[in-house]
Amino acid sequence: MNGVIKRFRFMAFAAGIMSLLLWFVELPVVYLLDNPELEAKVKWIPFVHGYVYAFYVLAAIHFTAKARFTIKRMILFILAGTLPIASFVAERKVMREFPIK
Amino acid sequence: MMNQSKNHWLKNSGLVAAVVILALVFIRLGFWQLDRAAELKELQKPYVEKPVVALSDVASPSENLKDSAINRIVEFSGQYVAQFDAPGQIDNQEKVGTWLVGLLEVNGGGAILVVRSTQAEELPKGEIFVQGRLMLRQFEDRAAKSQDQLSRLDPSLLVATYNLPVYDGYVVANSELLNGKALELKRAQVDPVKPKVPGYYWQHISYVVIWWLMALVVVFLPFYSRQREKKVKGILN
Repeated sequence: MNGVIKRFRFMAFAAGIMSLLLWFVELPVVYLLDNPELEAKVKWIPFVHGYVYAFYVLAAIHFTAKARFTIKRMILFILAGTLPIASFVAERKVMREFPIK
Repeated sequence: MMNQSKNHWLKNSGLVAAVVILALVFIRLGFWQLDRAAELKELQKPYVEKPVVALSDVASPSENLKDSAINRIVEFSGQYVAQFDAPGQIDNQEKVGTWLVGLLEVNGGGAILVVRSTQAEELPKGEIFVQGRLMLRQFEDRAAKSQDQLSRLDPSLLVATYNLPVYDGYVVANSELLNGKALELKRAQVDPVKPKVPGYYWQHISYVVIWWLMALVVVFLPFYSRQREKKVKGILN
């Protein structure tokens, strides 16, 4: 179980950081600033976010299934990866419920 | 007993239907992202010019311009009924200037905006044959609108003034023949418009992965629920 929790925590951090970068760096640069040079520098963010989220979903399913969470909780954990700080919140909850020995 | 099994059957059928519908929606969304990725790939290829075609073959007055008609080199004939200045226009060398734009009544019906030149010229009288590139109308104003000035290249600006059904978009003329004789004008140089697809190729592919993963999750959840119930019951017993 420890390995599953560690994987989930790592992916929750990664997904959270990528969501923050997407919402507060990439989207403002593309839609609010008219700066193609800057746009080219941040173009890696959306697709890295896409793949990180896919791995986050797998890690979240693996963890919630192992922990025998209800379907509702599993779905909430999956969706937590889409919002900037929700995956951090999910990670904190996991740490409170399943402190790693 | 019959009622219970009927309710159970209805509940199961509803669940199966919901799972199938959701999974199909996610699969479709994946294909949509796959199409966008393919569109982006297509846009990176150099533009291939298609054969010249009659305007009436690719467009009709009072109808929105079809995607397939945009950028086509078209030809048509008719007579100019008005001429305007269109300030703030940008050519393919990024040079900003005022373009001379004529409203031409097309033989066979309808009228179309024609970018004639980048400098002032007289409005020709008589039968004109035009060949040029058909472009999508502009959406943002580049100047103030007045009686002889267009704020943007958009035929809808003239609908109220001229009692003519207008073609959507405008044509940037490559050549004009007045009664069979070529008019030597300084023509506006434009490149074919490239439609914009937001995002990047690998970004769309990552969304394909996510949507199809979601479809798999939806199919997996009912099995997970059943397994979980069994295990919980096993623990309780």
